[in-house]
Amino acid sequence: MGLSTLRHVRFAGMASCVPKRVLSNIDDCPPSLQSERARLIRNIGIETRRICPEWQYFSDLAFIAAERLLGDLKWERSEVDALIVISQSPDYLIPSTAIILQDRLGLSNATIAYDVNLGCSAYPFGLHLLGNMISAGSIKKALLLVGDKCATVRDPLFSDAGTATALEFYADAPPMYFDLNSDGAGYKAIMLPVGGHREPYAYYHGIPRRDEHGQMHWPNDLILDGPAVLSFSTQRVPPAVEATAAYAGLKLEDINYFVFHQANRMINDTIRKKLRLTDDRVPSTLKEFGNTSGASIPVTMTARLREAMEAEKKKLLLCGFGIGLSWGTCILDIDGAVFPEMIEA
Amino acid sequence: MTTVNDFIEQFLIAVDFQEPVEVTPDTVLLDLPEWDSLAALGVIVMFDIEYGKTIIGDDLKQSITIQDLYNLLSR
Repeated sequence: MGLSTLRHVRFAGMASCVPKRVLSNIDDCPPSLQSERARLIRNIGIETRRICPEWQYFSDLAFIAAERLLGDLKWERSEVDALIVISQSPDYLIPSTAIILQDRLGLSNATIAYDVNLGCSAYPFGLHLLGNMISAGSIKKALLLVGDKCATVRDPLFSDAGTATALEFYADAPPMYFDLNSDGAGYKAIMLPVGGHREPYAYYHGIPRRDEHGQMHWPNDLILDGPAVLSFSTQRVPPAVEATAAYAGLKLEDINYFVFHQANRMINDTIRKKLRLTDDRVPSTLKEFGNTSGASIPVTMTARLREAMEAEKKKLLLCGFGIGLSWGTCILDIDGAVFPEMIEA
Repeated sequence: MTTVNDFIEQFLIAVDFQEPVEVTPDTVLLDLPEWDSLAALGVIVMFDIEYGKTIIGDDLKQSITIQDLYNLLSR
């Protein structure tokens, strides 16, 4: 499908929630790895991350974000026509987390609720999915909940977050422009190979091996092909950004802020340099919040742009990219939207 | 035209080794103590940003020496 336009959809608000628990990439790693970690941190740009305690899940963070957003918007629960969850850390394999949250949030039984399985590219796809329902006139108000519980102590990249975004029908809303793409030929670049139907869990998946640093590796660990992800991101994203802006009839100078998925500093700096964008228009939360998967765009908007967007109308370009492989760009105006400060839970 | 010495200078910035190391065109990448996945990512970025050249992980796997990497510039 590629490029498309949605009309009559207003971005009404956003809330982001992260766990209170902070992990340091230097202090929370074995002493034998600390000198290596200093170099790693310089290059990935991630100093601290947030991690859920054992009893807290993505859905808990998203629930808190949604509660806060609904309260600040003063929306009646019965007004929410659709609730879409985009996550790769559902409460259960089945049923959908969105349906459980429909009840937990006290939304009506007439709410459309289901999950979508996307990771780092999730946010623009979610805006498009719900925006389409609204634009077509079939629903008026909707919530998009995006995020993951993906942090581990061992891995230096990933961090936990849950976010809620509210969209509503508004006849005079400025158009939203999208460019959404998929390349399944690259599906092996980021994957959890075990636990699905092609390779169900078996006893031998529970047997780890120990590497030269004493770190344990399990057969069901996430596979992440660094060079492939880097090449994909830095080759696909810049032309997609330029194509979306051209489709919207805009020059890059016309856009106030560019919010990219927070992958790591190497990837994000390369994308920024290729597009010749200055730092001040490309906010980053990598240093404090790491790579929060699909939540990284809303987390960055909440942490870095909340006050600017509350002050006056802004034109933003949002771009998510990653697992799938999948990449999506959205250009939208945000005017008078509700933006609670970052919630820690 | 980038000289191999200029290329080595850029290479050392890109790989961001913690310990200083002497590198010549004949240096074997796998003999460098800190040649790792992070260094490989740095080299891919260096080709893209400094030289406007796209290389992939397989190009690195097939490059034995620094000279092999340098030769990718004129591919």
